[in-house]
Amino acid sequence: MSAVVEIRGASKSFVGVQALDDVSLDLAGGEIHALLGENGAGKSTLIKIITGVYVPDSGTMRLDGAPVSFRAPREAINAGIGAVHQERNLVPMFSVAENICLDRLPTSRGLVDRAAIMADAEQWMKAIGLALDPHTPVRSLSVAQMQLVEIAKALSLRSRVLLLDEPTASITPHEAERLFEVLRDLRARGVAMLFVSHRLEEVLALCDRVTVLRDGRNTAVGQPIAGVGRRDLIRLMIGRDEEAAAPARPLRDRGAPSLELQGVATAASHRDIDLKLHAGEILGLYGLVGCGRSELAKAIIGAIPVTGGEIRVAGKPAKIGSVSQALARYRIGYVSEDRKGEGVVLDQAITTNIAVTVWARLARGWLRFLSAAREYAAVKPFAERLQIRAPSLAVLVGKLSGGNQQKVSVAKWLLAGTEILIMDEPTVGIDVGTKAALHRLIRELADDGKSILLISSDMPEIVAVADRIVVMNAFRIVGMIENSHSYPDMSATIMHVIHGVADVELTTAPLTEALVSSS
Amino acid sequence: MIRDRLLRLARTENAGLVAILLIAVVALTVANPAFLTSFNLYVVLTSVSLWTCVALAQMTTLATGQMSLSVGSLGGLVAIVVGGLCELWGVPLPLAIIAGLAVGLAGGLLNGALIATSGINSFIITLATFSAFHGLTLGLTRAIPFYHMPDALKALGNARFGAVPFMLGIVLVVALAVHIIFTRTRIGRHMLAYGGNPTAAVLSGLSTKRAVIFAHALSGLLSAIAAILTVGRLQIAQPTIGEDWLIVSFAAPIIGGASLSGGHVSVPGTLLALALLAVINDALVLLGVDPFWVQVVLGCLILAVVGANRLREGRRLGEAVAR
Repeated sequence: MSAVVEIRGASKSFVGVQALDDVSLDLAGGEIHALLGENGAGKSTLIKIITGVYVPDSGTMRLDGAPVSFRAPREAINAGIGAVHQERNLVPMFSVAENICLDRLPTSRGLVDRAAIMADAEQWMKAIGLALDPHTPVRSLSVAQMQLVEIAKALSLRSRVLLLDEPTASITPHEAERLFEVLRDLRARGVAMLFVSHRLEEVLALCDRVTVLRDGRNTAVGQPIAGVGRRDLIRLMIGRDEEAAAPARPLRDRGAPSLELQGVATAASHRDIDLKLHAGEILGLYGLVGCGRSELAKAIIGAIPVTGGEIRVAGKPAKIGSVSQALARYRIGYVSEDRKGEGVVLDQAITTNIAVTVWARLARGWLRFLSAAREYAAVKPFAERLQIRAPSLAVLVGKLSGGNQQKVSVAKWLLAGTEILIMDEPTVGIDVGTKAALHRLIRELADDGKSILLISSDMPEIVAVADRIVVMNAFRIVGMIENSHSYPDMSATIMHVIHGVADVELTTAPLTEALVSSS
Repeated sequence: MIRDRLLRLARTENAGLVAILLIAVVALTVANPAFLTSFNLYVVLTSVSLWTCVALAQMTTLATGQMSLSVGSLGGLVAIVVGGLCELWGVPLPLAIIAGLAVGLAGGLLNGALIATSGINSFIITLATFSAFHGLTLGLTRAIPFYHMPDALKALGNARFGAVPFMLGIVLVVALAVHIIFTRTRIGRHMLAYGGNPTAAVLSGLSTKRAVIFAHALSGLLSAIAAILTVGRLQIAQPTIGEDWLIVSFAAPIIGGASLSGGHVSVPGTLLALALLAVINDALVLLGVDPFWVQVVLGCLILAVVGANRLREGRRLGEAVAR
C-alpha cells in the first residue's frame, strides 16, 4: 500500500499550548485508518491540518508523494479531501439538500438548479439510509439526523480521502452499522479514510490500522489493528490500564417511587407512558434516534407540555410548568445532551456555571449582591466531590475537556439540591478514561439515594450502568428489562424489544438472576 | 382541496403580513374613504418606491449577519455627486447617474473590504465610514443643496400613470433582481450560508471574504439607486438626503422576516413591510395625527413584529420536536 496522505513531523501550537508535537500519519488508499486519543490529544487539530483549516508550524505533508501545503479549506477540497468535522458544519435555515451540495451548487444558465440539487442530495441520503424529505430545513432536524446529513455531505464530495471526526458520536448503533457498510464499500473502491471514534468496539470491528495520539504526540503510527485488543488501545491512549468495570450494584429495596409517570401523553406525541423511578436507582432509557427519549425528559422537566396522564413526584401529583419549577419545587434536574449548547456557558468561570442554579439563595442584602467568596464556598465542595480537573475554579469552562465540562454540568444540579437527576447522553464525545469516572460518579450518586434517569444511545453504557432498562420506540415505551449486566444477552434482548421480533414480556430476567450475575 | 390550499397559504411566511396589510387597508378605507382616491394611492406608492432600495440596501448586509450604518450617509454622498456633476459641470444625466452608481458601489466595496480584511465587526467599520461619508458630503457642498436638476431626472421622480409612479416600475425590477440573487444564484446562497453559519461556510470551502464584500458592494449600489430616485423626487440634491434612512432600513427587512443573526432574508416580505409602513404613515396623516407620532408607531411595530416572529419560531420548534 502506498500512502495517499503522508504527514511527517507535524507540530502546531496555539497561544501557549502545544497541540501537536512531531506527529506522523500515513493514510493509504483502500483502508480505514483509526485515529485514537483522549479528548485534547490533538486528533481534531491533525484533521484540521490535513483539511487546510490550520497551517502547521512545522512538518511536511505529501499527497500522492508530492509535497503540498494547504492554506485554506477550499484547496484541500479541490485536492479531493473531504471531512466530517466535529463542529456543526450545516446552515440551519437551508434545506438538507442544499447543505449537502453547498460547496458546489449546480447552476444552469447562471441560476442555481434546484432540481439538480435535490437529485444529487437524494442519492447520497439514500446511500446512508437517511429517509428525509431533502427540502426539510436543517434546523428542524434532530442532532442525529444532522450528523447523518454531515456524513452525506462529506461522502458527496466523492473524495479520495475522507476524514471522519467522531461521525458516530450522536447516532445509534443501527445507523452506525449502516454508515460502516458505506465506508467498507468506499474502502473496496480505494478511498483512504481516517476514522475517529471513542467507541473502541467500532474501531476494532471496522478499521485496518491505527494511529494513536497522547498529549499531542504519537504513541502508535499505522499499527495494524489485527492482533491489537481493546486493552492495548486503551494503554496507548491513556498510558495505563483502564479501570476495571464496576460490578453490578447490589439490588436494594426500591420502596416507593420518587418519580412516577402514569399514562402520560405529551405535546411531542408520546402516548401511554408508564414509568417508575425509585430513590437510589439508575433507570436506563434506551431507544433509537427520534424515538422520543430526550423529548420525554423535556416533558418531565416542564419544557414540553404534558397533555394527559399523571406525573407524581414522591407520591404526590405534580404539575410541572417550567424548568425552574421542576428544580425549585420538585428537585428535578436535567443534564442536557447538548452540553455546549444547553449545559454550560463556555466563556464563564467554573464557579459561575455551577452557582447559577443557586444565585437566588446566595444573593444577600438590599441590592441582592452576589459575593464571589460565597459563590466559591458553595461550589468548592461539589467541584472536589466530582473531581473537576482545572488549575482553579476561575478557569473558563470553555477551556476544560469535554469530560470536565460534563462534570460542571452535573455539579450545578447537585448544588441546587436535585434529588431526581435526568442525564441525557452524558458521555457523548467523552474519552474512555473520563467516561469510566463519570459512570462511577453516576453510581455514587445513586448510592447516595438520588434517583437517576440515564438516557443513552450507547448500549454498552446502559448495560454497564443501569439497574433496569426501559426501551422506547416511536414515542411509546415498548419494554422494561431488569439489567443482567451481560452485554451479549442484554443487547440481543433490547434489539428484540425494539424491533418486536419476539414479544418480550415486561421484566424478562428474574430478579435473582440479576442479583447473582455481574458484568 | 381549496381548503388545503388556503391552509398552506396561511402557513407561508408572509401570510401574517398580507393579512395585517389587508386589514389596515380595509379599516382605513372605512375610516376615511379618501384613502382610495387615486392621488392618495399615488402618495402611498411613491413612498414605497422611495424606500424600497433603502430597505434592500440594509437587507443585503443583514443576510450575512452584518449591518451597515452607512447606508444613509453613502446615499447622501451619491445624491450630491449626481447633483454636483449635473449642476456644476453640466455632465449629461446618464453619465452622472453612472458616476453616482459607481460612487455607491465603491463605498460599499470599501465597507466590505475593510470588514473582510480587518476582521473588525461591521458595526464599528460602518460607524466609521458613516461619519466619513457624511463629512465628505458636508465638506464638498458646505451643506448647500444643488437646486438645478435636469428635467429628465425630475421626470423620473414625478412621472405617474394614474396612481402608479414611474419609480415603482424601476424599484420592482431592482427588487426582483435582488430576490433572484438571494434565492437563485451561488453568490446569493453563499452570502446567506455565511450569515446562517460562518463556520460551516468556512469548512465547506466557501470564500467568506467574497460573500461579505459582495453583500456590502450590493448594499452600496442599492443605496445609490435610492439616492438618485430621491433626488429625482425632491428635484433638489440635498446633502441631508439619507439622514432619516437608518430606522426604516432596519425596520422593513426585519418586519419582512429577516433574521438579525443572518442567514435569512425576504424581498417579498420587505416589500410588504414597506407597504404596511406606508399605509400606516398615510393613515396617521389622513386621521390628522401629529407626524412625530409616526416614529412612536414605527418603534412599537418593530417590537410587535419581532415578538410575533419569536412566537412563530417557538411554535415551529415545538412542531419539529413533535414531528
